[in-house]
Amino acid sequence: MARSVWKGPFVDAYVLKKAEATRESGRNEVIKIWSRRSTILPQFVGLTFGVYNGQKHIPVNVSEDMIGQKFGEYSPTRTYYGHAADKKAKRK
Amino acid sequence: MARIAGVNIPTAKRVPIALTYITGIGNSTAREICDAVGIDHSRRVNELSDTEVLSIREHIDQNLTVEGDLRREVQMNVKRLMDLGCYRGLRHRRNLPVRGQRTHTNARTRKGPAKAIAGKKK
Repeated sequence: MARSVWKGPFVDAYVLKKAEATRESGRNEVIKIWSRRSTILPQFVGLTFGVYNGQKHIPVNVSEDMIGQKFGEYSPTRTYYGHAADKKAKRK
Repeated sequence: MARIAGVNIPTAKRVPIALTYITGIGNSTAREICDAVGIDHSRRVNELSDTEVLSIREHIDQNLTVEGDLRREVQMNVKRLMDLGCYRGLRHRRNLPVRGQRTHTNARTRKGPAKAIAGKKK
C-alpha cells in the first residue's frame, strides 16, 4: 500500500542534515549514508551519496529521474555470478 | 472492412469486441468508446456507417494512446528504468520478474521456457 500523502516523504533526519552541510560547503564529496529507506528528495539532485549495501558504500549520483524513489534501489545488496558449472555433470 | 488506428481491421464481430484487437484497448475501454460515440454494443462492425467509423477513429485519436505510440511509450519507460541503474532496471535487464515475485520456482513468463540443467538428478 502506498504511503499517506499527508505524512510527506520519509527521510531520515541525519540524511537531510548531511546533505545540507555538503551543499553549503560547496565541495562535491560522497555523502556516506546507511539509510537505504530514505526517499530521494528534489533538493538531493546533483549530490553524490554513498549508499550502504551491507558491505560498502555504493556511490550514487542523484539525477532528476530518481526523485521519489528510495536510496536502497540504487545499491544492490546481492551479488550473483550465475551458477558454477557442476563437476559431477561432466563425469557422465 | 474498417481500418481504425492504423493497421487494425477487425470485421464481423461486435464493435466492443472488435475494438479490443487494437493494442491498448481492452474490454472496458472498448465499451467506453462505444458509449461515448453512441453505438449500441450489439452492433457489428460491418453494420457501421462510414460516419460512425470515422467518429470512433476520431475519438481514439483524441483521447487514447494506442498501437505503435503506446508500445514506444512503454519501451521508453522500461529504458528509463534500465538507464537509471535502479533495482527495477536491473530486473528488466536480466529479464527477471520486476515486482518482487519468487524466482526459485515459477517466473516462467519472464524467464522463458525451462532449460534443463545437466546432471541435476542425482
